[in-house]
Amino acid sequence: MKKFFRAVFFVDLIQGLWVTFRNQNPKYIYTEQYPAERPKVAERYRGAPRLNINPENGETLCIACNLCALACPENLIVVTSERNEATRRKELTTFTYDTSRCMFCGLCEDACPVDALELTQDFELASYTREGAIWDRQMLEEGPKPTQYKC
Amino acid sequence: MADATFLDSTELVLNMGPQHPSTHGVLRVILKLDGEKVLGTDCVIGYLHRGVEKIAENRTYQQFNPYVDRMDYVAAVSNGLGYCLAVEKLLNVEAPPRAQVTRVILTELNRIASHLLWLGTHALDIGAITPVFYCFREREEILKIFENYCGARLTTHAFRIGGLQYELYDGFEEQCKAFCDMFLPKVDEYEELLTSNRIWVSRLKGVGILNAEECKEYGVTGPVLRAAGVKWDLRKAQPYSGYEQYDFDIPTAQNGDTYDRYSVRMQEMRQSVRIIRQAVDKIPSGPIGKTPKVVKPATGEVYVSIEAPKGELGYFIVSDNSTQPYRVRVRPPSFINLQALDRMVRGGLVADVVAIIGTLDIVLGEVDR
Amino acid sequence: MPDDPKPEGASAGPDKPADGEKPPAAKPAAPPAAKPAAPAAKPAAPAAHAAPKPPAPMATTPWESDLTASLKEQFGDGITEFSTYLGQNFLVAKPAAVIPIIEFLKLEQDFDYLVDLTAVDYPKRAERFDLIYILYSFARNERIRVKTMIAEGARPGTVCGVHLTANWLEREVFDMFGIQFEGHPDMRRILLPEEWEGHPLRKDYSILQQDQRWVQENLGIESGQ
Repeated sequence: MKKFFRAVFFVDLIQGLWVTFRNQNPKYIYTEQYPAERPKVAERYRGAPRLNINPENGETLCIACNLCALACPENLIVVTSERNEATRRKELTTFTYDTSRCMFCGLCEDACPVDALELTQDFELASYTREGAIWDRQMLEEGPKPTQYKC
Repeated sequence: MADATFLDSTELVLNMGPQHPSTHGVLRVILKLDGEKVLGTDCVIGYLHRGVEKIAENRTYQQFNPYVDRMDYVAAVSNGLGYCLAVEKLLNVEAPPRAQVTRVILTELNRIASHLLWLGTHALDIGAITPVFYCFREREEILKIFENYCGARLTTHAFRIGGLQYELYDGFEEQCKAFCDMFLPKVDEYEELLTSNRIWVSRLKGVGILNAEECKEYGVTGPVLRAAGVKWDLRKAQPYSGYEQYDFDIPTAQNGDTYDRYSVRMQEMRQSVRIIRQAVDKIPSGPIGKTPKVVKPATGEVYVSIEAPKGELGYFIVSDNSTQPYRVRVRPPSFINLQALDRMVRGGLVADVVAIIGTLDIVLGEVDR
Repeated sequence: MPDDPKPEGASAGPDKPADGEKPPAAKPAAPPAAKPAAPAAKPAAPAAHAAPKPPAPMATTPWESDLTASLKEQFGDGITEFSTYLGQNFLVAKPAAVIPIIEFLKLEQDFDYLVDLTAVDYPKRAERFDLIYILYSFARNERIRVKTMIAEGARPGTVCGVHLTANWLEREVFDMFGIQFEGHPDMRRILLPEEWEGHPLRKDYSILQQDQRWVQENLGIESGQ
């Protein structure tokens, strides 16, 4: 008898619908108005690579040790350097990073002994050409500059 | 002049092609039908074959670590755990206790995330559109924890050989506990939506029965095996990474049909929350592990397997004492579970094929590697 | 202590097969210098498992238990080696003996679950491929590997009759290595397209190599690289 009433009056259906309507509360609205509000990503987010610069003297922190290139599974970092006779150290000349093949695994960032190479929180890396995805030293130091929109 | 024989039912071959919303990836199933009843199937896979095992032979052990996440991309942390455990066994190192407890927490969160995605997509295949949003809303919380921890949501690359790379961030324990507290009532919500829903029950009960004998013959593991009544879980049978310290149950069911697999996975989510709560309380302090500078294991081979959300995920690594593995073989649970599809759909309807593919919880990244 | 029963088991194994002790597969912590008193098995020193390059072969230790005793009794010289490496037991068998061994393990010894079936390519060896079967027993909670070496062109028998799960596993081994299994119900490629030529996991197949003809015909592009 109870089963009959449960079947005829769609009790299980009402129970399910109640859960659905309970969650319709406007306070649960989740939509982010991109691109006016950009999503906040975590501090450790592995996004666009950046070559850090020493804030005091404006020189690059990279010591051209090539550890990042060796660590990369895809071999997409090319570091060239020349020896500076005055200080008898290697100095970085060019640094090429191919973001089109990068899987943002973070192995290069882990390998860098001086924290020069870092994966930042930038995730807008799109480019109109394939060549635009291959970043040279300047692009790496400045970072991608996505257009900022005002709503 | 119509030939009377055209009304006879003959075998119809229908292609459930690689582009199909319900096949959970690029899976092609060639169905042989008699009307709407399925006589047999032939699965064509390989559309997502990327040659991961070949890539492994050309990378060093540490460099291969990010690639394993891409196989079962839904639950990437487990893949990483299996690989790291296998290489650590070859090297005869063990991760320090702090790393082990953290690995357990992340792996169990990963199991919940995988089951949530399974529930959402399975319900969507059956026709229930609401659960997928709720499941993804909860999954979002887990992915936020992953992102806060290692910087990526899906392809986490969370573990390293020898332990962890990243120290736990401030607020990790609180966030995990808050998630657990938030999550259990949500599981009740999903059950309220689905468990006694007459449509759900009639779509799922009695469909795709695979009993214990057949499971063992086909080598099927994971929730499918447990739903058939075999109380076997690698976390209890051959514990790894400190699982013996935690108190949890292994949910099983009797019939081995789709409805039982659903209830087993729901119970597993609850048990995972139990494990996370226990683990979060006992994170020891200490080092998080250090990958050896040069990973060059001695010549040898080892097979290590873990209980991934989909089944037994095993890594068979052959080393020849160089920095690159000689052969890495991944034993993919989805590949082997998918073999049982043929047996499970016999005699069912086409709609049941969709339900059964959903209940096997396959991820084509793992099937094809 | 896992070490204590081990020396007794090692020396008493072949004499008392009904010992009832767990096979000493626990921890290889201190492999006892007790070379088995059994004359039958050759001492498994740098055994049949040389690496492709001269570096040291696998440092295995011999494995003795009542399981190995009953296997030895059944198959005699069909099995050439019983070893343990890092706590994982394996045996090396001759290709002809493999299916009877797997059948025996399933029917008599409860190894009812074929975990994996795979191959490894050692091109410099005469018997180029290492065929590996990993079996697990639910009742004993134990894993065992059965290895055999086969030459190129050899056609080992299929284990589909014993374990149904071998169907797709053997198809994958065929696909990747080119090893055809005799008696398999459906020997065709599984991961790669049917018309693909070449077997990628062989060592002579470079990672950048692909079946150019197939790619050009079917995908309409010059090359996938």
